[in-house]
Amino acid sequence: MKYLNRPLQEVHELLKKKEIKPIDLVEEAFENIEANKELNAFITLNKEEAIQRAKELEDQEVDNLLFGIPIALKDNIITEGLRTTCGSHILDNFVPIYNATIVDKLLEKKMIIIGKTNMDQFGMGSSSRTSYYGAPKNPWDLNKIAGGSSGGSAAAISSREVMLAIGSDTGGSIRQPSSYTGIVGMKPTYGRVSRYGLVAFASSLDQLGPMTKNVYENAVLLNAIVGKDEKDLTSAKREEEDFTRLIGEDIKGMKIAIPNFLMGDIVSEEVKDKVKETIKCLEENGATVDYIDIKYIENAMTLYQIIAMGEASSNLARFDGIRYGFQADNIKNIEDVYLETRGQGFGEEVKRRIMVGSYLLSGENAKVYYNKALSIRDDMRKEFKKAFETYDLIIGPTTVTTAYDLTDPMDDPRKSFMDDVLVIPVNMAGLPGMNIPVGFDQNHMPIGMQIIGDSFEEAKMYKLASFIEKELNLDLMPGGEK
Amino acid sequence: MSNYIPTIGVEVHVELKTKTKIFSNARNGYGQMANSLTNVIDLGYPGTLPTLNEEVINLAIRAATICNCKIQKVMHFDRKNYFYPDIPKNYQITQNDTPIGYDGYVEITKENGETKKVFIEEMHIEEDTCKSAHRKDKTLLDFNRAGVPLIEIVTKPCMSSGEEVKLYLEKLRELLSFGDISDCKIEEGSMRADVNVSIRKEEKDPLGVKAEIKNIGSISNAKLGVEKEIERQTKIYDRGETFKPQTRRFDDKVNDTILMRVKETGNDYRYFPEPDIPYVVITEEMIEEAKKGIPMLPDERRKKYTEKGILEANANKLVQNRSLSDFFNTLLEEEIDFKVASNILLGDISAYLNREEKEITETNLTKERFIELVKVYQEGTITSKNLKEMLDTILESKDSIQDIMKEIGIENISDDSELRNIIKEILKKNPESVSDYQNGHDRAIKFLMGQVMKETKGKANPRLANDILLEELKG
Amino acid sequence: MEDKLTREEVLHVANLARIKLTEEEIEKYQVELKKLLTDVEKINEVEGYDDDILIACWDQNTELRKDVEGEMLDPKQVVENAPRHAGNYIEVPVVIGESEGA
Repeated sequence: MKYLNRPLQEVHELLKKKEIKPIDLVEEAFENIEANKELNAFITLNKEEAIQRAKELEDQEVDNLLFGIPIALKDNIITEGLRTTCGSHILDNFVPIYNATIVDKLLEKKMIIIGKTNMDQFGMGSSSRTSYYGAPKNPWDLNKIAGGSSGGSAAAISSREVMLAIGSDTGGSIRQPSSYTGIVGMKPTYGRVSRYGLVAFASSLDQLGPMTKNVYENAVLLNAIVGKDEKDLTSAKREEEDFTRLIGEDIKGMKIAIPNFLMGDIVSEEVKDKVKETIKCLEENGATVDYIDIKYIENAMTLYQIIAMGEASSNLARFDGIRYGFQADNIKNIEDVYLETRGQGFGEEVKRRIMVGSYLLSGENAKVYYNKALSIRDDMRKEFKKAFETYDLIIGPTTVTTAYDLTDPMDDPRKSFMDDVLVIPVNMAGLPGMNIPVGFDQNHMPIGMQIIGDSFEEAKMYKLASFIEKELNLDLMPGGEK
Repeated sequence: MSNYIPTIGVEVHVELKTKTKIFSNARNGYGQMANSLTNVIDLGYPGTLPTLNEEVINLAIRAATICNCKIQKVMHFDRKNYFYPDIPKNYQITQNDTPIGYDGYVEITKENGETKKVFIEEMHIEEDTCKSAHRKDKTLLDFNRAGVPLIEIVTKPCMSSGEEVKLYLEKLRELLSFGDISDCKIEEGSMRADVNVSIRKEEKDPLGVKAEIKNIGSISNAKLGVEKEIERQTKIYDRGETFKPQTRRFDDKVNDTILMRVKETGNDYRYFPEPDIPYVVITEEMIEEAKKGIPMLPDERRKKYTEKGILEANANKLVQNRSLSDFFNTLLEEEIDFKVASNILLGDISAYLNREEKEITETNLTKERFIELVKVYQEGTITSKNLKEMLDTILESKDSIQDIMKEIGIENISDDSELRNIIKEILKKNPESVSDYQNGHDRAIKFLMGQVMKETKGKANPRLANDILLEELKG
Repeated sequence: MEDKLTREEVLHVANLARIKLTEEEIEKYQVELKKLLTDVEKINEVEGYDDDILIACWDQNTELRKDVEGEMLDPKQVVENAPRHAGNYIEVPVVIGESEGA
């Protein structure tokens, strides 16, 4: 490791003093990726383009913290001229003709896109094992999953293949893999980051967010990607703010809540113990921590199944092999174009979910399931809001266990939802949620804690996260390098 | 054949006259090169999201207002899910739960002068599909039309004859085109009507089996189609048979409706609220703004025209040509003979416009030049023959009316003494006609005038010639 | 309650989603889909909520776009990504019948 494991500010200073050039970072990134090939963190690399861009940046003024920094993007983010597969066979050969808004924003900051990271097919899964391109592995133990669906981005950050990454989170897909791989992952408030150019899984839940090795870098990256986008009607108009502004502040007097549900029997003792240790540390430093109940939180998974599968069945209807992407070759008539292309192009998990989703919307079912789920979701959101009238933040474990074996069976269709049971409520309420590493299990696999904020309160979450980061001072480099 | 009571409802789609599409800023255009009016949103590319065109909402409010509909205060869009090559996302964004307008009516006037309200159930906004061209072994897709804004206007099943359907469609076309909401060109597909027809024996019976007539090529075909369909259904019931709900089309070659397909039980469109478009709030200001944008509607125009002394038939004709009517409206404050003006517009000018397939706005006729034309015609400085001769030049050049008259040699005829001499000569040469006149045969005047025109090669000012002729005859 | 869907039920939802299934898949999904459909039934146990819906997790209303033309694609770009095309058109096997919608 030369530079990519160092703090962003340090690398920035080196770039500014011209002691290093962007190309040094790009070369290191590709060296690391080559050395960690086994991780399978990337689906597509952007090598030529990245090198060329690094060279173009050489003579330019280093005008911001992110200048010249290598970044990896989850492969459901649309990149002009760079293959975008969503981890699926059906988009095998798809080279987009436009850029996602987030991509334009990152390029404006003169960042360098290293490649597109591995993921569960269309974000559907919790271990990235539904990827058509093989599962990424966990840098802490190559026999374990990296989590999902942003497993590739998590593995790439955890192993320091790149310095920063973007993931997407529909039902925990940033926070859960971040927890499994010991990194910091933020799912911002719904509406914070434009979804234009994020291939939709469940439109009313999807949100893009930063995945990084530390809290500060996470906040800096969030600064770069937020903002109202006229191309996305669901993006929020907010006053500009600096998400790093509360980092380092004292947490004395902070009022924190833990929903009982998040510390229930489903959570392993090892994970609960680590979270409790962290709570103790917070209390010792002047924060108060109360256990509370949040109505409907235990229903979040059911709501999620209905809303996410319902919306997905419609969002994924456009993949039919007519205008772009893969088309099956044994086609005799128009029905074949749909049936064969989708039958061959989608993976098992995707087919399962869109079939269930189609059922949930068919006939009178939309009223019985989908609309009802929207009603309860709204009520649950209000319950969270109520809690935030009293508390600054809500915390709890991110996952029920640490990362499990890649070879664990995949035959239970409920498994992928169960893995995300603690992170799903946040998406259902549209709230921001993040993962912060708080320790390791007996096999030295990372354990993560979730911080949940009120809408648009990301800065407050970073304040608590940075405090925990500093207090615990964990060695978060797989294999240890500190 | 027995008598049955027909029950008819109509669904009309019209394309809105906006600059851009409903959910993208690609151009809303017609007749352009295939796939040249699209962007990634219209093609349903992964990751794209809809935005909502302000003008679509404005025009839809306008349409709802004109059709006397109530307007939804908070509305959303819904997805209608089905697989078909002409819908790029394999779902159509439409309004199922919260149509922008509802509970309205349009008033039609039947031939016997009776008026009837055709009730509008609802009016909603949606996106158009792409255009497919079917070849022998393949279908070609052109996405230029994909995402063009539409409103669909659904009546209650409240009409009972082909004639009423025709009157409703004519009225709707008139209102929407005069409201500047749509071109309403059936032949270009910017107005499309589907008609649902069923018949039953008596009012107290439940509604009969429904047949939907689609792809209607003209309003007169809509009438014919309905009449033929009523006839067909009557025959079936008279035989003691029945039929399945079905979709038919009217074929004017065979002058009958033809089966397209029997409706499968319940199409499953899997409607659900469109999550990419949050609630749309229609404010009072938006409604006021939309109302302000409504131009003068046909009924008011007709009223104004007849008040100016124009025959009702001519007033109707004027209203039928929007741009002609707009042009006429600019004259309403002027001091001219409106009868003459309307005759010229509906006569020679209309003939020219039809022949050249032009709108009056595409000619060089200005308000000022037209007023002058009316004046010289009214004064008899030019004859209707002169008018015909001059018209092409008037409409095609920018020369003044006087110059054009000079060009074709009409100006010299107003010279009193010259004309008097010519007339005196003619009277000398035609003593029989003079005595005929003096014996009370007014016809002789016509003959003598003809001689004057012949002598002057048609250049004489007819009114002046007439006056002098009478003077000289009276001696 | 049966612990799996019938073959016909699976084929029905597969057809709604336009997915061709192999024999093997049909059998597998009879069991798997049933599990998920049993899960979602839990929504019927939820009580006490009000019927208001929020269509997105989000209480900001739609901001309308001005009716001003933007950039459009070259027809060549449109057909470039399409598996089959003829000239400026995107091509599909011949479609018989009419669109259901507009």
